[in-house]
Amino acid sequence: MGRLALVIGAVAAIVYPIPLQLQGYTYYQTVGFLVLLNAMLGIGWNVVGGWAGQFDFGPQVFFAVGAYTAALLFVKLGVDAWLGLVAAVVVAFLICAALTYPLTRLRGHYFAIATVAIWMIAQPIGATWEFIGGSQGLFIPVKPRASVVASALSLQFSGPTKALGYYYASLVLFAIALALMAVVERSKLGFYFRAIRDDQEAAEGIGIDSRLYKVLARSITAAVFAAGGVLYAFWALSVFPEQALELNWSTLPIMATVVGGIGRLWGPVLGAIILIPIAQIMSTTLGTGPLAGRGVDLIVYGLIIVLIAAFRPTGLLSLPWARWFRLSRRSAAA
Amino acid sequence: VTELAQAVVNGLQMGFLYALVAVGLTIIWGLMEMINFAHGEFLMLGMFAAWGLSAAFGLDPLIAIVPIGLVMFAFGMLVYQQLMRRVQGGDPFTQIFATIGLLFLLQNAVVAAFTSDYRFANDTLLVRLGGAKLTLLGLTFAVPLLLAAGLALVLFLALYLLIERTEFGLALQATSEDRDAARLVGIRPQRMFAVAWGLGAALVAVAGAILVNFFSVYPQVGLQFTVLAYAIVALGGFGSILGTLLAALLVGVIQSVTVVYLPPAFKDAFVFGSYLLIGLFRPQGLFGRF
Repeated sequence: MGRLALVIGAVAAIVYPIPLQLQGYTYYQTVGFLVLLNAMLGIGWNVVGGWAGQFDFGPQVFFAVGAYTAALLFVKLGVDAWLGLVAAVVVAFLICAALTYPLTRLRGHYFAIATVAIWMIAQPIGATWEFIGGSQGLFIPVKPRASVVASALSLQFSGPTKALGYYYASLVLFAIALALMAVVERSKLGFYFRAIRDDQEAAEGIGIDSRLYKVLARSITAAVFAAGGVLYAFWALSVFPEQALELNWSTLPIMATVVGGIGRLWGPVLGAIILIPIAQIMSTTLGTGPLAGRGVDLIVYGLIIVLIAAFRPTGLLSLPWARWFRLSRRSAAA
Repeated sequence: VTELAQAVVNGLQMGFLYALVAVGLTIIWGLMEMINFAHGEFLMLGMFAAWGLSAAFGLDPLIAIVPIGLVMFAFGMLVYQQLMRRVQGGDPFTQIFATIGLLFLLQNAVVAAFTSDYRFANDTLLVRLGGAKLTLLGLTFAVPLLLAAGLALVLFLALYLLIERTEFGLALQATSEDRDAARLVGIRPQRMFAVAWGLGAALVAVAGAILVNFFSVYPQVGLQFTVLAYAIVALGGFGSILGTLLAALLVGVIQSVTVVYLPPAFKDAFVFGSYLLIGLFRPQGLFGRF
């Protein structure tokens, strides 16, 4: 992806909500927030799934760990969201590392089931542990802030600035995640991950500790999910088990990654830009008609995934765009 | 002690039903090494079909298992031939995503057609037998569950004999072990895979038709059973049919014993906890060959 395209994309992402906000619309900012949130989660999942090649179906556990950590710090100790986010990322990374290390004895399908197992165990714990509010969860009260800057620093907004505030907050986190993973992709770490994916025995043969690097990959994914969880919790003003541990927090980012291109840095971004607005647009256009709330958006998701898997499993980014683009430009000139 | 023994007995009866749900997965996933995330949706289709036939024509689910099994056999083969054959050679991830897509498609097509409401099959033989109980050695057996468990066991044994004792079963196993060698001795792997998918879909749909007698039907019903089925298959060890049965019985017992001592919310957590614990010592499952 060219530098020019990156700059254009960044400028568009920064500027597009401003005219909408000035006219009093907030809807598209919220859609943008959800797109960026899922894109960020997808970027995180790409590390364990795309690069390290491990079947991880339980990253939503760490979404919840992050959401709960920051919410608890805020509700019980009055720690603001950004600081809570840092704490949540660290906590999720450590918990994930501790939980995943024993699991790395398992390979392939067995490992995949183990990640599901942790999710299944987390659900009743979340629903019954009184300290974190049981099935009711925790409510995050909005404390009035003196200025927009104070709101932005605490992620607590009132009125129509909320949608814009969260859009930019998600844009910042998304950009950080993308930049970090761009570094990881080209670092020794990234090459180790892919070596394990491509041939674990060979990777071990040249001295890569596959268990250590699998743990690292999954914990990096967990850290990204924790950050996403914090953002979502403060946006939703609450955390409860059924919300934070919902399966969609892993299926949507994973689907976005696959549609865009698994193992490609920009894959989840493209996937999220395509998939997330579909659900939003559908729920708006179907309105209260006979098909409203009948899962039509998910039928479309299913269809897209099946078609991608059957005809282009490497994702949309793997299509020869550069060739098509050059060809069309040349034919236009001729 | 009686309470515990009763819990074990109840768990064993549920275990037979779980075994029937899981064994379809054993064939597709364990034996043929293809992942099917839409397994629960096949179950859900079976449940909906049984409920529909019962509600519309008064056909008892225990009779309806025959047409449902046949139709789902054809459906399973169709899924293999139209979708899974394309993705079979590629990355395992591709198979996962193809079937996740199928999951979304099937589940939400049913939501669109029937909404997410809960439905119950009321007028069936087993429901009418609802209150009947047998008492033996101080333990109570609910007759409907006992009959269903018996039926599940019979079907399971029939499948076991089919896979382990017939020429067809041996061909299936040969395909799973070495596709190219199987081709050399005149087995058509593609056909074997298609039949395996048909069998898997038919079995789980039949399991669904039996489960209709005990559980409400709704489009998302598949998940709770399949998550367990995945654990059962992995616990039993991939490719081991008998392992699946024993693991299913174990899971049923773990669930019902957990409920005696802890809130019901924990019953699945203990199943998965046991899976993790056993996995640490036997990463290939209890009876797995690899």
